[in-house]
Amino acid sequence: MTAHRYFPGPPDHVPPELIHEFDIYQFSPGVTDPLEQWGNLLGSDAPRIFYTHHNGGHWVFLDYEDVREAFRNDALFSTFQTPIPPIEPYPVMQPQGVDPPEHKKFRSLLAPLFTPTAVAKMHAELRRRTTELLDGFADRGSCEFGRDFASVLPTGMFLYLMGMPEDRLPEFVKLSEVFMRSNDEAERTQNIQQIYAVIGEYLDWRATRPGDDLGSVLVQARDENGQPLDRQDVLNCGFLLFVAGLDTVTSTMTFIWRHLAGNERVRHELRAMLDDREQLSTAVDELLRVHAVPNIYRRVKKDMVYRGITMKENDRVVLPVSVANRNESVFEHADVIDLQREINNHLTFGAGPHRCVGSHLAKTEVTIALQEWLRRIPDFSVAADARIQGHLGPTMGFSQLPLVWTPRR
Amino acid sequence: MKVDVMPDVCQGHARCQDRCPEVFGTDAVEGKCVILMPEVPAHLQDKARLAVRNCPEGALVIVSD
Repeated sequence: MTAHRYFPGPPDHVPPELIHEFDIYQFSPGVTDPLEQWGNLLGSDAPRIFYTHHNGGHWVFLDYEDVREAFRNDALFSTFQTPIPPIEPYPVMQPQGVDPPEHKKFRSLLAPLFTPTAVAKMHAELRRRTTELLDGFADRGSCEFGRDFASVLPTGMFLYLMGMPEDRLPEFVKLSEVFMRSNDEAERTQNIQQIYAVIGEYLDWRATRPGDDLGSVLVQARDENGQPLDRQDVLNCGFLLFVAGLDTVTSTMTFIWRHLAGNERVRHELRAMLDDREQLSTAVDELLRVHAVPNIYRRVKKDMVYRGITMKENDRVVLPVSVANRNESVFEHADVIDLQREINNHLTFGAGPHRCVGSHLAKTEVTIALQEWLRRIPDFSVAADARIQGHLGPTMGFSQLPLVWTPRR
Repeated sequence: MKVDVMPDVCQGHARCQDRCPEVFGTDAVEGKCVILMPEVPAHLQDKARLAVRNCPEGALVIVSD
């Protein structure tokens, strides 16, 4: 007779010394800041590669070199079907959910559209939208940062890029929030269906009247035989474009503004460089290093021994980039925000074949937002009665950030 | 100072173009690095050096200094 465990335990290949208690979706008691929740692992007895039995069981890599390796080594770490907890089936996002070399089909379609040169053409529109949003509350002396600014801006840019109507903005913000934050399987399944329906309906309409927007590029793309790309693939690409650039930018901005609200020295230093493109670019990179919101998932492709640790095919791995970005051997004084840090190979956008294709747009959104905001609202703080509660998950963030300031007049 | 790119290592992140657009461009096919000035003039060398060291893949090299 074989003995069976009553409660499922970690798989047999995981030795007990590598198991560490950690739930990627739950705060430890008394912790409300997602960066702190993950950062606390650095001072703890967690091994640099550990296993947790929560959420279906997965590995966590804490070290910069291991996280970078997992990003770059697609022979060992796959992006195919990676959600945690596992949800089957899961949409195969194009190109993110496809391993090289197949990912090139859509990657090559998108990459030239998001280079710094391509993004430069979006600056005027971005500045116009940012200014318009600020007009809505700058004289009021208060705002709810997410609702009034940080969720509207990137969502509006997405609609603009895709060529979609502006009046669908509130609907899109809601859809993306559920996608990024929900841990409820039924709710997530329905959310994904809704997103697909919206994208599909729009792309079908776009195909009948193409323009020069991103949606038109997708429906007009042709393979080497002159045939349109597979419809499901096109939908999956649209799905990725929808979810990848929204909550990420919103949450990053929320973290940055929360930091600025409590830090006069950094506000002062940034204000002095708003017109210096290169200095500001370096500064924004540093802000992105410190306020890294993604926790990226990978799937082990085959049984292997990695750094002396046995891993099995289909094991999931979590890559907390905010922790990797605090590595002292890569970033001198890693816990200090150095706005003049010139060598800054942070992993906030990842690395390797799937490194965020929208990184220049994201960086530009943050840069222009900082310029226009600090020119209009140079000093601000978090509202005194605010209770700031963060959320964990694939994109960390805060649900609310009420800010106050003395209006200029 | 000469710079070059390893095309098989380059993934087209264009961080080089962001840092030093005078020296580093991108191709229209995959967005990968195109060296616009193989010989880097003196006034751009600091910027170009930073671009090389900030490549996420380590795909850029300074061939001679």
